[in-house]
Parts: sequence; structure tokens; C-alpha cells
Amino acid sequence: MAYRELINKIFNKGKEKMEDLEVYIESSKQIEIKIFKGEIDKYSISESGGLSLRGIHNGKMGYSYTEKIDESSIDMIVNEAYENAKYIDTEDKEEIFKGSDGYKEINSYGEELSATSIEEKIDLVKKLEIEALSLDERVTSIQQCGYKEFDKSRYIVNTKGVDLSDRLNGAGIYIVVIAKDGDDIKTGMGFRMIRDISQIDYKAIAKEAVDEAISSLGAKPIRSNSYPSVIKNLVFADLLDSFISVFSSDYIQKGMSLLKDKVGTKVASPLLTIVDDPYLKEGFIRGFDDEGTKTTYKKIIDKGVLTTYLYNWKTAKKDGVESTGNGARGSYKSSLSISPTNFYIEKGNNTFEELIESIERGVYITDVAGLHSGLNPISGDFSLSASGYEIIDGKINRPINQITIAGNFFEVLNNIDAIGNDLKFGFPNLGYFGSPSIKLNNISVSGE
Amino acid sequence: MLNGKIIENVLCAALCKGGDFAEIFVEDKYNSNIKLVGGLIENNMSGRDYGVGIRIIDKLNCIYAFTNDSTEENLIKVAKEAASALQNASIDLKLNFMKSDITNYNPIKIMPSSVEKKKKIDLMKKGYEAAKSYDSVISQVIVNYLEEEQSVLIANTEGLLAEDRRVRTRFSVGSVASKDGEMQQGSYGPGASMGFEFFDKINVEEVGREASRIAKAMVYADHCPSGVMPVIMDNEFGGVLFHEACGHSLEAAFISKGTSVFTDKLGQLVASPLLTAIDDGTMPNEWGTTNIDDEGTPTKRNLLIENGVLKSYLIDKLNGKRMNMESTGSGRRQSYKFAPTSRMNNTYIAKGDSNLDEIISSTENGLYAKKLDGGSVNPATGDFNFAVMEGYLIKNGKILKPVRGATLIGNGLKVLELIDMVGNNLSLGQGMCGADSGSIPAGLGQPPLRVKSLTVGGRMGDE
Repeated sequence: MAYRELINKIFNKGKEKMEDLEVYIESSKQIEIKIFKGEIDKYSISESGGLSLRGIHNGKMGYSYTEKIDESSIDMIVNEAYENAKYIDTEDKEEIFKGSDGYKEINSYGEELSATSIEEKIDLVKKLEIEALSLDERVTSIQQCGYKEFDKSRYIVNTKGVDLSDRLNGAGIYIVVIAKDGDDIKTGMGFRMIRDISQIDYKAIAKEAVDEAISSLGAKPIRSNSYPSVIKNLVFADLLDSFISVFSSDYIQKGMSLLKDKVGTKVASPLLTIVDDPYLKEGFIRGFDDEGTKTTYKKIIDKGVLTTYLYNWKTAKKDGVESTGNGARGSYKSSLSISPTNFYIEKGNNTFEELIESIERGVYITDVAGLHSGLNPISGDFSLSASGYEIIDGKINRPINQITIAGNFFEVLNNIDAIGNDLKFGFPNLGYFGSPSIKLNNISVSGE
Repeated sequence: MLNGKIIENVLCAALCKGGDFAEIFVEDKYNSNIKLVGGLIENNMSGRDYGVGIRIIDKLNCIYAFTNDSTEENLIKVAKEAASALQNASIDLKLNFMKSDITNYNPIKIMPSSVEKKKKIDLMKKGYEAAKSYDSVISQVIVNYLEEEQSVLIANTEGLLAEDRRVRTRFSVGSVASKDGEMQQGSYGPGASMGFEFFDKINVEEVGREASRIAKAMVYADHCPSGVMPVIMDNEFGGVLFHEACGHSLEAAFISKGTSVFTDKLGQLVASPLLTAIDDGTMPNEWGTTNIDDEGTPTKRNLLIENGVLKSYLIDKLNGKRMNMESTGSGRRQSYKFAPTSRMNNTYIAKGDSNLDEIISSTENGLYAKKLDGGSVNPATGDFNFAVMEGYLIKNGKILKPVRGATLIGNGLKVLELIDMVGNNLSLGQGMCGADSGSIPAGLGQPPLRVKSLTVGGRMGDE
């Protein structure tokens, strides 16, 4: 490993002031391509990374980081980590982990992706744009059409024996189209996560985006009321993502999650099972977390009953349990936190059509906006700008927009009436979130 | 940060396959974050961001590359790799850098990094005590302290060479109120382009009490009813209305591609004649103020809308080229990892004639949004949303009761026409704005104002 010598020097210097030390390095390559009107609007390439040091002084953990990964930074990061440790006064003990037994052999690096030439990737994005523009004359322009690829290596080395590294890559392709009919303007989006370019059906992505935009032309609000509803799989996956902190032991321990003291009790409809699976084949496979703990498959909610929170070692120690392998560093700039791996709702028995057919008068919600502001993970309350379709007599009747849906996440979990079999994953964030389409007994809609 | 000869060699390498313009952006930034939870310091992170971004513009296309390794050898390699996307003949460059004179809008008295951590932590504990002891319903308090010192060097093939240093300090408190198995939160986080002297300007105990006041008000509040009603937005962070409803859609990135609702509307009446809006990157020590933008162009005061008429867009160099218009000093980016694009600095609505009491008393039934939270917009459609952190129902011209959980939605073009009262006490708030070129500090503000009718998304209630 290229960093070995540097790490040894950091440890030697750090040992003068601190007891245990750990270096976390991320190095990543990125490619980004954006196409506009058949031309490369933006082409971006990069190789970058950062190194974080954490160290224990008098039982307290201090952190520092640098993006200048060379010897000139050693004094700075050692001093900063030491200085930062001095002022920690929380009683929750954070330790450097000694490592797990028996890490699983896994391969999270796709050779196909790195072997594909940049020209082929550019060509694919160009084809996607042309296809989307050709499908319907009401599609007047493309708001975004692009490709993003990452190739990220991770190194965790500490003075207690952990010495791990892995490499993960992936890519995504996306398009947002604009459709116009007179003064009426609507947008539609399509995207895929990519492991192997040759498997990508760009025509299907274009069609998804165009269908969404065209079918929402003419949308109008619906009367304010409480309606039975179907929430689109990707929208529910986003909701799960936005409320993830309620499952975090850190938030529980700080008194900031209403799931406190709820392990072993019913917190959701018996139809609901939520899984955190680090080995999910279609997901992002990780054999160890950012503390070097072996990752494990686990159910978080099993048929409506809460089975565990997500833990790292700091929070596990406080609760007298083992880490669940969810220790996370958002990046080398972040201190240790908690994050899921591949986190999803298990699919149910109903087809999407059956969910729609089961509603006499209701709404199908296909898009929400304002997830970063319109919801409150502490109370569970949310109120989100939304759009979708009205359902009448088991059929999709007309597009609706300029409405909000509002409710409480914990009530929603209990309100689940049926779960579709169309499990789908959204854009990866800190974790990778998936859900099937979900039918709710009712949701509060504000419109006209 | 890099010597002139190296810069010249890198820019030459960037144009080795042609192109019209090349630029180098060097960033060295020191960050420090301290987090206090429940009275105790839980986290203390500091470090250094360091890297170089290289941009090539060929006609209307942009190639961008960045790296952490600033040796001349590596920078030339990266520049050539970026250039390999082009197929033209090499350009023979003779550069004569003119170092830009810079007006300093952000004088700094005390560099935050020169102050010992203990002083910062004492302030945090003071803020915590004030927030925690505000009321017995306050169950948890989190205090965050943030300081950053960002030095940038920008040079390009037009001969520009500019350097700037941006110092920012922020202090925020989040309070949680618990009652009968329910929890609500309130937060308040003032910040400025100032050094440690910022704490002479703000009172950390008041910041703490303000966060707790909101949390307490909201834990006693009923759900907000749904429906279309007049909405009064108070000053300071109320400016998120204009930021989302209109500001983003005025960014040249959307205008130049014809994908904004404001495309081709310069000189037209697009808002109520009561409305005048400005984006100003030169307001002394304000959160979104920088002396130059991240392309080296001096920032300006840009009059966007005057008495309802659209006067200007927010323009960066590349989109300016697309539109055949000059940069308005609005090219911004989070860091060297992002190519710059048109963004806002400090955006606000100018003050009018009414006062808040008049606005409330002339509203029969409606919502008074005292504190707003973040929001978002789709610039193609103009559809926006934002959340109300602290709201009150108005009945017969009087504040009836607190309500929570409301989101406001609407359409940018329509809402600007529906502003029918504008207050006289303007003040600014501080936010982080996320878009194509990353997350940047943005100031926003307004006087209190009323929108005649807006869709309020609450939960069905008895109102």
C-alpha cells in the first residue's frame, strides 16, 4: 500500500502524545459527463482524497484531517487531533476497535465499468438525450442529462491491529426532460445505477422520463381531504432515507428519536419488514464498516416488531451490546457516526396494479419535494410538496400537482395497508435505500 | 499559493489541444467544528481542505478537473488529461498577469484560529445553559460552533490573477422540547463573514433562548390546517421565499439554456409593483459576501427586480458567454471540487411601507409564518416549497394560536404577483444553499410581507 510509510510516520509521531491511533484514508476517482443539445456541456475528471486521524488522549478521542496527504501535514494533524481530544468532556467512551474475526471475502469492484472507454460512456449519454427528445414533440428541452462514475478506495489502519482496505465503484446515468403544452410546463426524470454499461437500456430510461413528464401535463390540485393512497416505491425509499436517524442508536441515546425503549415492541404494520443487508447483490457490498467492524445482515423491523437499532462501538458500549457494523464516516472530514448499508423494505405480495385497483377514490403519489426541510425526524411529522395522480374506481384518472401530503412517519408505518412486489432503490446517499410501492389507509392531502 | 511561472505552465498545458479559455483555482481552507450535546463537548474536528481545480472552456463546453496534488508535474499532467477531451490545435499563450485590486468588504479583526479553543467552548456552554434552562419542556440542546478560513487564488488565460481570503464564523443552537410523548425542535444559527469579533455582535445566550422559545412554542402547538389562505412571512429567514420562489430561477445556468420560467422576461413586469429585489455580494461582513466571486470577478450589487420589473439575472462567465452578457460577479462554488456556476450571494427583498402589526391586523384569516425553514424549487416549472418552523394562525386580524408542521407550496411566477403588502423592517438571515456547484453560504432576507393566497400544507384539522 502506497500510504504505509506515511501512516507509520504519523503513528510514530502521534504515539508521543496519544495512546491509540487510527488513520482513515479515502481516495477516489470521479468522472462526470453532462450533455446538452448533443454536445459535451461538462466533462469532469478528478483524483482526490483525504486522510483523517483520530487518537485517544486520556481516554478522549480527538479528530483531525487533511487533503494534503504528504509528510508536510503530519505535525498539523497530530497536533490538531491532540488539541481536539483535550476538550472532549462527554462521558460516552469512544475507543479504537481491535478488529473482528472472519471478515467475508467479497468483491465490490466491477471490472466491466472501468474497462469501458470514456467514448462509449459519452456516446451512451448522447443517445439517451436524442432518444428522449424524439419520443414526443411536447418534450421541448432537456434540463439535465448526465453520467457520474466513482471509484473509491478506503483504508483503515490502527494501532490495535486493524489493517483493512477495499475498493468500490459504480455509476449512475440520469435525465430530466421538460415537456410543454401551451403555458403548462412539467418535468420528468429517469435514472439507473450502472454496474455494467452493456446492460443499460437507455431507451427505457428515456421513456420513463418522457412518460412521467407527458402524463403530468394538465395536472391540477385535488380537493383537500384525507385519501387512501399508493406511494411510489422510489418516493417511499426517499422517505425512509430522510427518517433514517430514528433507527440510529445515537439519536435514541440523545433522546432524539421516538423509537426509544421500543425494541421488541410493535412499531409498524405486521406487513412491514425492514432489512439492512451489506451483502445485497444489487446494492453496495461492504465487508466491514468504517471502524473496521465486520458487517452483518439484520432485520431492523420484523413483521412490524422493532428488533434492533443501528450501532457503532461507541453507542453499543453505552447500551451494553455489540456493534451492528454500522459505524460510518460520512467522509474523512466527519467524525464517527452511524449509517445503514443497503437498507430496504422487503417486497410484499401485491402487484402495483393490485394496489391501484384496491382504491375506489384516492391518490397515487409519484413525486415529493422538500425532503430536506419539510420533515422533522425528531417528531416524525412531515408535510411535503407532492404530485401524482388521482385514482377513481381502481384506475388512474388524471394528474394532480400543487398539493402537499402530510402525516407522521410513525403513524404511516402503522397505516400500511398493502405492500407491492416492485422493490426499487433510489440514488445512493450515505446508505442505499429501497422500497416497494406502499399502500396507505389514508394520508392528509392539501390542495384546493 | 502557487508561483506565476507554474500557473502559466499549467494554463498553457490546459490549452494544448485548443480551447478558448483556461482557469486555475487553488484553495487552502482551514475548518474547525465543535459540537456540544447535552452540555458536554462530544466532538471536535478540525482540518485542512487543499486542492486545485482546472477548467477549460471550448466554445460553450466546459471541461473540469481537480486534484489534491499541487506539484507542478502533477498539475501539468492533470491539465493535459483534461485537455485530451479536445481535438484542436495547440494555442500559443503569452500571459501577462495583472494582479487584481480587491476591495475588502469583510474586514476581519480577530482570526478565529488565533483564539484558544477554551474560549469557544465557554461560549458554547453559555449558549447551552441559556437554552436548557429556558423551560422545563426543553429535553435536549445541541450547540455547534463553526469557523473557516478559506484562501483562494484564481488565475486565467485572460491574464486575471486574484487572491482572496474568506473568514466565516457561525454559532447555532438546536433545542428539543418534549411533552406527552411528542417532540418538537427549534433552531437558530446566526453566522457572518467575520472573525471571532462576531461574538461581540451576537449574544450566545439570546441565541440559545431563541431556539428554545421556538421549540417550546411548537410543542404546545396544534397541527396546522390545510388549505389556500393569505400567508404573512416575517423578516430575516423569511427571505427563503424569494430565494426559492424566484432567486434560483434567475440563475444564468437555467436562463442560458432556456430552461427557466424567467427566460426572455428582462424588462417585463414579472411581480407585484410593490416588489424590489436585490442580490448583493458586497454587504460588509454578511454571510454571503465575498470580495470576488470564485471566477475572480469582483462581486456587485445586482438589482434583480425593480418595482415588479425584471432587471437582471445572476450571471457567471460561461453562461454569460452563452447569453452574450457580462458576468454579474455571481460565479460561485463550494470548493476546488466544483466548476463554478451562477449562484446567489445575499439576496433580499427591499423594504416597503407597512409594519408587521398593520399586516397582521388587516388579515382576516390566515397564517403568520414567523420562522421559516429551508425549501427547494424546480426552476423549469417554478414550483417551489418550503417549510414553516414556527407558525401562528390568524383569525380576525389577531394571532389566535401556534401551529406546526406546515409546508408552503406555490409557483414562482404566480407568487410574486400575489405579494400585496410589504413591511418596513428588513433583516437578513443565513443559510447554506445547495445546487450544481455545491453547498455555499448564502444570505437571504426580506421585510415582513404578505402573499394574498398560498397553499398551506398542514394536516386536516378542525379549522
